[in-house]
Amino acid sequence: MKLGAMGISRLLKISSVLIIMGLLLELVSLLWLHPLSFVLFAFVAASLIGLGVVVYLISVVFVASAPAGRLG
Amino acid sequence: MILPTGVVVGLVLLTIGLTGLFLARPSITAGLTGKILAFVALCVLPALCIAAGMSTHMQRSEQTQFCISCHAMENYGKSLYVDDPSALPAQHFQNHRVPPDMACYSCHTDYTIYGPFKDKLKGMTRIYMQYVSTPPNPITIPGGFKNAQCLHCHLGARAFEENPVHAAMMDSLKSEQTSCLTSGCHDTVHHASQVDHLKMWRPGP
Repeated sequence: MKLGAMGISRLLKISSVLIIMGLLLELVSLLWLHPLSFVLFAFVAASLIGLGVVVYLISVVFVASAPAGRLG
Repeated sequence: MILPTGVVVGLVLLTIGLTGLFLARPSITAGLTGKILAFVALCVLPALCIAAGMSTHMQRSEQTQFCISCHAMENYGKSLYVDDPSALPAQHFQNHRVPPDMACYSCHTDYTIYGPFKDKLKGMTRIYMQYVSTPPNPITIPGGFKNAQCLHCHLGARAFEENPVHAAMMDSLKSEQTSCLTSGCHDTVHHASQVDHLKMWRPGP
């Protein structure tokens, strides 16, 4: 499926879900004092947040230029 | 910049709230204000959360409590309370020659610009050994304990420099030819394997 056809709202939702999941895991890692909390943050939480930001940036670059009428 | 954990938690909660807004109503981005808000909520704030989280984790990993929270390090933590004047780590810890809340880090980091990152990489190796392979028994420091870690604090200190034994071998100590620990001078370090049979110091209330 082309990114343009996917629609900006879909990409925004995917981005939001990834970022929220990453942030929730970051919260857990911040409240847990254990060496594994760093692993959880660095390899899982930060990756999910980073992926969410990338999806958002893709939506800006590739979808924002698409014809209007795909929101909502 | 080091942020308190509470501030980072607040920043994360704020970002979750704002991001949740775009999950519930993505159509907000139709207007210019919504686009700016989306950029802040889905790009700027998450990046800040990663940076702040990394900073907090790096700072927390310097704490004694963090190091001894690993099962393999429990006895090393207990050895800081051994009641023996010749036990080097215990004496440094009990007499506050190192900050007690950063006791492990003070003696085991290499004090270079990338020291904390190198420590993290070493720590990842230890986590791998703990959970995937088998931790070595006894635990050893790859390359041995360097004099530079002692000299970082002791070099320039009057009692250290005026000691005739230290003065006589200063060049050898600085060049790591003679080890502070394994040359026989200060060889009583962590009593990790015997810690349960030794007299322990109990700090006052």
